[in-house]
Amino acid sequence: MPWVTVEPSGVRFEVREGESVAEAAWRQGYVWPTKCWGQADCMSCFTKIVDGELSAVPAGTEELDAMRLKMVARVRGPMVRLACRLTVKKDGLVLHKQGVRVPEDVPNSNQAITG
Amino acid sequence: MTVTDPRTSTPAKVTPIGPNGEEVTSKVPFHMKDSLHVPAERYYSREFYDLEKEKLWSHVWQMACREEEIPDPGDFVEYEIVGKSFLLVRQNDGSVKALHNACRHRGTQLGKGSGRFPGGQIVCPFHGWRWKTDGQCSHVFGREGFSDGVLSRDEIDLPECLVDTWGGHVWINMDRDAGPLREALFPVADILDHVNVGNMRVKWWKEVVLNCNWKLAQEAFFESYHVKQTHPQLYTQHNQDDADETNRSLPEYQSFVNGHGLFQGGDAQRGSTHGNATNLLEMARVLWSGQDAMTLERDLWVMESVSGKVDPTDPQFGLATVDALFEYWESAGIPAYERRPEALKLWGGDVFMFPNYLMLPMYNNCLCYRVTPYNDDPEQCKFEVWSLTAYPEGNEPGRPESLGRFDKDDADHWGLIPRQDFSNIERMQQGIKAPSFTETRLAAKWELTISNMHEELDRRLAAEY
Repeated sequence: MPWVTVEPSGVRFEVREGESVAEAAWRQGYVWPTKCWGQADCMSCFTKIVDGELSAVPAGTEELDAMRLKMVARVRGPMVRLACRLTVKKDGLVLHKQGVRVPEDVPNSNQAITG
Repeated sequence: MTVTDPRTSTPAKVTPIGPNGEEVTSKVPFHMKDSLHVPAERYYSREFYDLEKEKLWSHVWQMACREEEIPDPGDFVEYEIVGKSFLLVRQNDGSVKALHNACRHRGTQLGKGSGRFPGGQIVCPFHGWRWKTDGQCSHVFGREGFSDGVLSRDEIDLPECLVDTWGGHVWINMDRDAGPLREALFPVADILDHVNVGNMRVKWWKEVVLNCNWKLAQEAFFESYHVKQTHPQLYTQHNQDDADETNRSLPEYQSFVNGHGLFQGGDAQRGSTHGNATNLLEMARVLWSGQDAMTLERDLWVMESVSGKVDPTDPQFGLATVDALFEYWESAGIPAYERRPEALKLWGGDVFMFPNYLMLPMYNNCLCYRVTPYNDDPEQCKFEVWSLTAYPEGNEPGRPESLGRFDKDDADHWGLIPRQDFSNIERMQQGIKAPSFTETRLAAKWELTISNMHEELDRRLAAEY
């Protein structure tokens, strides 16, 4: 199973075949910023490939269309991907994403709601 | 109609109730008066359709999806019926929940079509309210903006339907007080268990929208009386040049409690019971090329492997192919079932599961139809078709997707057999509205499973919930 590394936190985790980087992070208990939870809607999970580009599966139409229509111009760039659509085929992908961390004191997580 | 099923220890219980009394008929417009006629308005009246929405669809167990459509935790598929939408969501423990598909804030639908809820979170696309995949609310953006009590837990968790599984399908009931699924599917689920339909997976699946009432569409598949005229290529029991008017396609018909019914030819591999030599291999080719379901290409290969030794018109050919098929499944690691007369009898049979699902098992395959009202119109329906088959263990295909919706006369996507059926159905819908046409008239010998379905429907429509 391929590994990805996320800067600047240095978090490193495995990604299953066909699984997105964001979903792999959530599955293993890491925080990866999102508001739409994997629907290619909110753009919050955007990440930049800083190394190992050939380890990433190229973006498909859905991801490209979503970024073209909904991503603010200052974030867009040739190495920018949606982590909720980014899948990995081999080791060595290095990503940059602020806010990726082991969950502790997380304001956006599954907090209990009391009636 | 007598029920002679020897498998059940209490035969009386499977017998249909029959025509309804005053306590039912007084509450139902255009109700059934006897078992030989169906009032035409039942197929186009808006009043009748609205009563079906209120009393039938809201309280009946119905097939919502195939299990393999949602294999992994977080996978979902939407099921829509008479304008109500539900999300079938696979849970972490492998069970399935059917959540009402509406944000508790201002009603936005939370999922469309099919997909995944990664990270186990369902998010409203409008304001970002969020639920865990079990329907429990996990986040409300801007809670401080709401008054006390508006966001109480029982107000904002997603309501659920009853859910159960049988035969590789997920069934739901909107009525939380409904009885168990297997009671509702009795006795047809037990009968289909003889060929282990639960082992089968989707090979392909597609749909057509037909301009006709949902009941009219499904009833076209309740009898084989139509085969001689509608599908002449399948009526192999006689030469096409003879003028014999005898109906040589004579399966046994059975009506059951709960509105279910079936017909079965009694082991399709026995060939003709009328003395005429039937070429079973030729018949199998026509079935495969005509619909790519029930008989698949791999069954043809197995049958061909027998035809070098036994002539396909020899009565022994049928038996030899049964041997060959069971041997093939065993050697290929394809899960099968016990070779019993009850199982073989179902080959080529046609099982109707009230209210709107049909299963036509053959060999280790099954053709399935689901017919649902479409576009909130009594005169439109969505007709879905699945071809199921059993795969070698460990080689089952992944998550299936519908091939899509195709026009009823699209010869690239519908085989000859369904095109022949579809072409009659819309003509019936137009015909029953002729001024002189007040009711259909049914053959007591071949068409009583139609009235059995309608009589059960009337009981549902008369029920007080």
